[in-house]
Amino acid sequence: MIDQPGSSILQVENLNVAYGIFRAVSDVTFNVKSGEIFGLLGPNGAGKTSTLSAVEGLLKPLSGEISVAGFNINKQPLHAKANMGVQLQATSFQPELTITEIIKLFAGIYGVNLTSDKLNKILQDIKLEESASKKFGQLSGGQQQRVSLIISTIHDPVLVMLDEPTSGLDPQSRRQLWERIEAIRGKGHGVLLTTHSMEEAESVCDRIAIIDHGRIIATNTPQALIDLHRNDPNVINASRKGKITLEDVFIGLTGKTVRA
Amino acid sequence: METKIPKPSDAFASLMRSDFTTQWRNRRSVMMSLLVPLIILISWKGLIPKFGGAFVFSISLTIGLVSIGMMGYAISVARDRDKGIFQRLRVTPMPTSFIMISRLMVQLGMIALLTLCVFIIGYQVDKISLTPLGYILTFITAFLGGALYLGFGQMLVGLIKNAETVNSSTRLVYIAFIMLGMFGELTDNIEFKNIIHWSPFGTVKTMLAAAMLPSTWNNDATIALLVTIAYAVIFSFLGIKWFKWSSAGA
Repeated sequence: MIDQPGSSILQVENLNVAYGIFRAVSDVTFNVKSGEIFGLLGPNGAGKTSTLSAVEGLLKPLSGEISVAGFNINKQPLHAKANMGVQLQATSFQPELTITEIIKLFAGIYGVNLTSDKLNKILQDIKLEESASKKFGQLSGGQQQRVSLIISTIHDPVLVMLDEPTSGLDPQSRRQLWERIEAIRGKGHGVLLTTHSMEEAESVCDRIAIIDHGRIIATNTPQALIDLHRNDPNVINASRKGKITLEDVFIGLTGKTVRA
Repeated sequence: METKIPKPSDAFASLMRSDFTTQWRNRRSVMMSLLVPLIILISWKGLIPKFGGAFVFSISLTIGLVSIGMMGYAISVARDRDKGIFQRLRVTPMPTSFIMISRLMVQLGMIALLTLCVFIIGYQVDKISLTPLGYILTFITAFLGGALYLGFGQMLVGLIKNAETVNSSTRLVYIAFIMLGMFGELTDNIEFKNIIHWSPFGTVKTMLAAAMLPSTWNNDATIALLVTIAYAVIFSFLGIKWFKWSSAGA
């Protein structure tokens, strides 16, 4: 079923997440299809990471249904997690372990048979064969992201989730990372990501959901969002360059106020 | 498409391998866990004729067990939680319990190493030797005592989210336990002696001392054993109940 291009590999329905009395996510519904990069955009504290955490099984939602490749994350967590690859916003690995050891650890956890040839190929692929014996903390930000991404995809999951993957990267590393993410899409896998870069989201994402105050306020392709909202006075007001961009739509819909 | 769930044994073996490697690379912390009890064992050589070998052995081992539970386990759990290492492991298709079980296995290995070192140094330096049954019972009770302090460490990381605060708190508790061990027995105050005797330090020490000389095992040792188990269960229960996988609270 999930092998079919365009079929839904992640289904989130009426998701509600709360921290005590604070409702972080309210009735969020969306889906990610195979062969699609789906961007979840929102200001700080809008509910992006809470939504992702619920999908990843890191927190128990108040209510709602989440299924990955047809497996409910709360009822069949191991099946759902076996079908997803995750790169967390603040990923870290044991600082005492080398890159090779970290890759071997996760290959073992995901049940991937990692021969030394395959390991070398991975290290070559992420251009870290020279740094194989380095510890994770000794790598640059871009190198760390490459390691994180390769670990997220080491078991070839049908769904890859990336929480602000390009944050803190230089333009070269960012470009390279997007190429890798596009390659994942090229294999027919689905990608769910959050980013603060509207420019990147506009050029890379196939569909976008804008989330604010825990609610999804718009879902569509980047171009459709621009077309739908180009006459909105708030969007026009947010426009600085004359030409309406996704960032203008985003600011028009979520407001100009800086969030804490 | 068929979903391939990794074999739990493979996942656990990988996790254990990496946790043992991590422990091996933290040799300074391992040395610290071994050094203090061994220093006590060597420096208290003069007290053996007065108090007996089992007394010195048991205090030395108990302090080592405190060190493993506090400095070894609690601090590393707090650090890794703060760094998001647990969250990274939790999104993988293996039971979450594996993460902690693997770490506890490493600490059990440390307890075995500590007990062995104390036996060897005790024999070489202080000429203390036990009967075969004494050695076996000491190993078993050392694991029980270790469970108490690991539970205590778990409770601390359950109660305190901030890694720095866990670090300083465990050091304070560790020093307090060393003080209790070194000077508690030498006081003449009966009430204070009683408190120490039934404290998590005292019950483990009593149980270990009796296990080293099985012929001296009495009712007091049995009660100390039961109280140690009760402490271990209560501390572990509270530690698990209050524990958060992320220092952010999730």
